[in-house]
Amino acid sequence: MTSPLTIAVGYDGSSESEMAIRWALYMAVATNAHVTVVHATGLLEHAHIRFSPDAAPDALLAIARECGFDADHLYWVVNDGDACSVLLRAEGPPIGADMLVVGSRGHGKRPGILLGSTSLEVAEHATVPVVVVPPNIRGSVPPDDEVR
Amino acid sequence: MSLIVNEPYDDSGHEDPGHPERPERSSVAMAAVTDLHLGSDLVIATARAATRAELIRVHSGNYLDELGAFCYGGGGDIDQDTYATLDSWSIAVLAAGGGLAVIEELQRRGDGVGFVVTRPPGHHALADRAMGFCLLNNVAIAAAGLLAQGERVLIVDWDVHHGNGTEQIFWDEPNVLYVSTHQWPLFPGSGSASEVGGRHAIGRNVNIPLPPGATGDVILRALKEIAAPTIKEFDPTWVLVSAGFDAHRADPMAEFQLTSGDFALAASWVAEFVPHPGRLSLFLEGGYDLDALRSSICATLSSLLGRNQDSEDPSSGGPGMDGLVQIQDARKAAIDMLQRADKEDDQ
Repeated sequence: MTSPLTIAVGYDGSSESEMAIRWALYMAVATNAHVTVVHATGLLEHAHIRFSPDAAPDALLAIARECGFDADHLYWVVNDGDACSVLLRAEGPPIGADMLVVGSRGHGKRPGILLGSTSLEVAEHATVPVVVVPPNIRGSVPPDDEVR
Repeated sequence: MSLIVNEPYDDSGHEDPGHPERPERSSVAMAAVTDLHLGSDLVIATARAATRAELIRVHSGNYLDELGAFCYGGGGDIDQDTYATLDSWSIAVLAAGGGLAVIEELQRRGDGVGFVVTRPPGHHALADRAMGFCLLNNVAIAAAGLLAQGERVLIVDWDVHHGNGTEQIFWDEPNVLYVSTHQWPLFPGSGSASEVGGRHAIGRNVNIPLPPGATGDVILRALKEIAAPTIKEFDPTWVLVSAGFDAHRADPMAEFQLTSGDFALAASWVAEFVPHPGRLSLFLEGGYDLDALRSSICATLSSLLGRNQDSEDPSSGGPGMDGLVQIQDARKAAIDMLQRADKEDDQ
């Protein structure tokens, strides 16, 4: 028996990253995968100047329940760094992600701006498959018959 | 001895209200220079912008184009930490040019110490990406200019954060030795002791990650025991310092416990490796508590210029001393592994 796949998904507190988490969870339900939600702690967050996701684990559990995902297979990891580097590091141990999932644009980003695009950087440098979840995905989840 | 400082430029347009990387930082840095009362020993290097040819030694053309277009389009948040405004491009190229101008003045004189007041800071900026408040890698642009003249450049980075951009840019460059002391874990998450350089530059990257709470005695001993032998072997012809002052105990961005007196000692230690007069320049990186920034710059420059200036007592007793052996071991193991792999490839 092969071990379950691990999907790592980036979370920065934005609605786009929440959409990415929902997509990852539905995919994980369909493929019996584990999900690790990865949050990058930047300079400002470390100094408590900007967004801090203290409440995120509880909110994520609620989303997992909505998606029908077993919360025992949901992991929450916070690492220092920029969003792109932290998500790319999820490919290696201890997470060992088989797939990276990221929202198409992060917190406060303007549409169409490539500079600082986490999704673009991750897609360019990753060595595992990357899914970029757009903000306007239909129904916010992949239809069952496409996933299974 | 003279202090060569870049001519102040108007950086007020690079500001995001509430952001700690703010225009007051450069005003305070210049006030620290004024505090030294140098008179005719203070030399101002005329401001100039870095040219595209100078920038492209370090940054990709695509990145430069995107950054310029982003700024001229009004700017905004680049990532969770980093912003740019309409004026940021022109300010960033003046920051990078300031470093080049100071080095040119040092070369003309063959004497003195350089201090480059740069906003935005630079050491997190990658070849193709802005991050960590940094847009252009000022110290790397200066080092690349010296490399083009055939120099061998030592970069000592005592900012509390690892200079991932500088490390990446010179990862495989045998004529640059990068030495960093930094808090770990902390942004940007890189900087482990096993990062020792690329196949063409094995051992040319010296990372000294230290725990939160580390004091000046730990950092100075780490530099002496871990970095000094490699620096002596490298035998630099120029010495640049990524002089961040956010390792000060009052700084809000991290948890090191340094005092202004510690920076003075670190500066004296660095000066030992300067091969000839006029071949040392400091570049402002971090430092966000304005009082600590001012007193630390003043103490650092006083030390280098051989002037008596009151500073805080050096700090001691923090954690990290016991871990220095592990840092040495991890570094040695990584170098051995790369050298073995290199030999096997040759066979």
